[in-house]
Amino acid sequence: MQALLSFDKAPPFAAPLRFFLTAPLFALLAGVLLLVEGESMFASRWTPGLLAATHLVTVGFMLQVMLGALIQILPVVAGANLRHPLVVARWLHGGLSGGALLLAAGFQFGQPTLLAAAALVLGASIAMFLLVTWRALAGVPSTSPTIRGLKFALFGLAGAVALGIVLALALARGWAVPWQALTDLHAAWALGGWAGILLAAMAYVVVPMFQLTPGYPARPSWWLPRVMLGLVLSWTLAVLFEWPLAIRLLQGLTALAGIAFAALTLRLQSQRRRARADATYRYWQLGLFSAVFGLFLPLTATVWPALAELPGFSLVVGILLLAGGFMSFIVGMLYKIVPFLAWLHLQNTCGGQAPNMNRLLPETAMQRQMNAHALAVALLLAAVVWPWLVRPAGAALALAGGWLFYNLWGTVGRYRRHLAKVVAA
Amino acid sequence: MTHPKSTHVVDARYMEPPEPFVHTMEMLDTLKPGEKMLLLLFREPHPLYKVLRQNGYTYDTELVSDGTFEILIWR
Repeated sequence: MQALLSFDKAPPFAAPLRFFLTAPLFALLAGVLLLVEGESMFASRWTPGLLAATHLVTVGFMLQVMLGALIQILPVVAGANLRHPLVVARWLHGGLSGGALLLAAGFQFGQPTLLAAAALVLGASIAMFLLVTWRALAGVPSTSPTIRGLKFALFGLAGAVALGIVLALALARGWAVPWQALTDLHAAWALGGWAGILLAAMAYVVVPMFQLTPGYPARPSWWLPRVMLGLVLSWTLAVLFEWPLAIRLLQGLTALAGIAFAALTLRLQSQRRRARADATYRYWQLGLFSAVFGLFLPLTATVWPALAELPGFSLVVGILLLAGGFMSFIVGMLYKIVPFLAWLHLQNTCGGQAPNMNRLLPETAMQRQMNAHALAVALLLAAVVWPWLVRPAGAALALAGGWLFYNLWGTVGRYRRHLAKVVAA
Repeated sequence: MTHPKSTHVVDARYMEPPEPFVHTMEMLDTLKPGEKMLLLLFREPHPLYKVLRQNGYTYDTELVSDGTFEILIWR
């Protein structure tokens, strides 16, 4: 039986682990930047420091974990095997980490050369990832909403990165572009077309599996990736043809699609069969409520445009979706994935003597780290109204990032010690 | 538990990994020649598919409206 449990195509632990351990350091760095820069950072959505911190979170933290996890998870959720996962992981990890640092430095110091270099490095690394992933997925039939979602999400990632490159080069070269419309569109591709569809595709599998909820009903699951990508594509056309009314309407509909997914997930969670609320469940609750509020604002702005003109509107939406939403979903999943992988690799190596997953990463350590993250989200939101809170918010974000690293590093340490003990015996 | 598709059913919808895999393997061991078993899950078990193929089993999967994947397995 144990031999059967090891499916030989699973990538080595090191392949995803390097992403999972680096990502928290980028969250920490974003916190440090807020701590150093202070209240001037929240003057508008366009301050260099805020653009730098946002991309430390989105590229350095979010994209890092999402792509690292995909390398690991594609064989499991789609039966698609990447060729040479360790080589891909090494190059991608270097490109994403270096690219995120270049991009943040380019924004922070207003250096056109750094921005252009970031566009090149990130563009090349992600293009390489898309190519190898596409080769692995191309022959796989879309037999589940998850596989369809993955394929659509990769398309979304390509769109988000292409727009990101255009914006970075426009900033570096001083091209005249409609900044607000293109930046909103970039965010729509990145958060809706890529991260949102990917989150849904993964949630279809991991929410019932880890939280013991009912499954996602089939029909809306099939439709969501299609609807989301269709909306973002239409939004792109509306920007190209400069139809402000259509842009507003599509923005509202995209938000509505996100709210529908979050509401459905909240309903499934309320029917879960696991009595105890663990860190993953709590993180997802925080993420889902933040996402609903964060999406409700642009939805309201569709019918009441004056709302979007209020100072701090974009900041609140960004904080709710990124720090409150996506970071929470991601950390919640990391807290299941990392101990599970450590356990699986131990199980495969030492045949049934692997320690309990809770011993690899204790629940209290996760809960305490989550408190720091929730505090960071609350302080960031409060700092929009009282900018003197930017520094404390940065400190909390840095603390949560550092603590996440400490927790994951501790799991890896326990994994290595157990492995060494078994090998020595 | 029985099901219109088979009398040998593993309902693994509210089980944590690796329980669905373990229970499926145990039930496959009890099947007589010509019998089929049904696995119910809220996801497609690609690692299990691979093991089934390697061991000469055939499977047929249907996703039903409540999100259950009905996986019929036989040799």
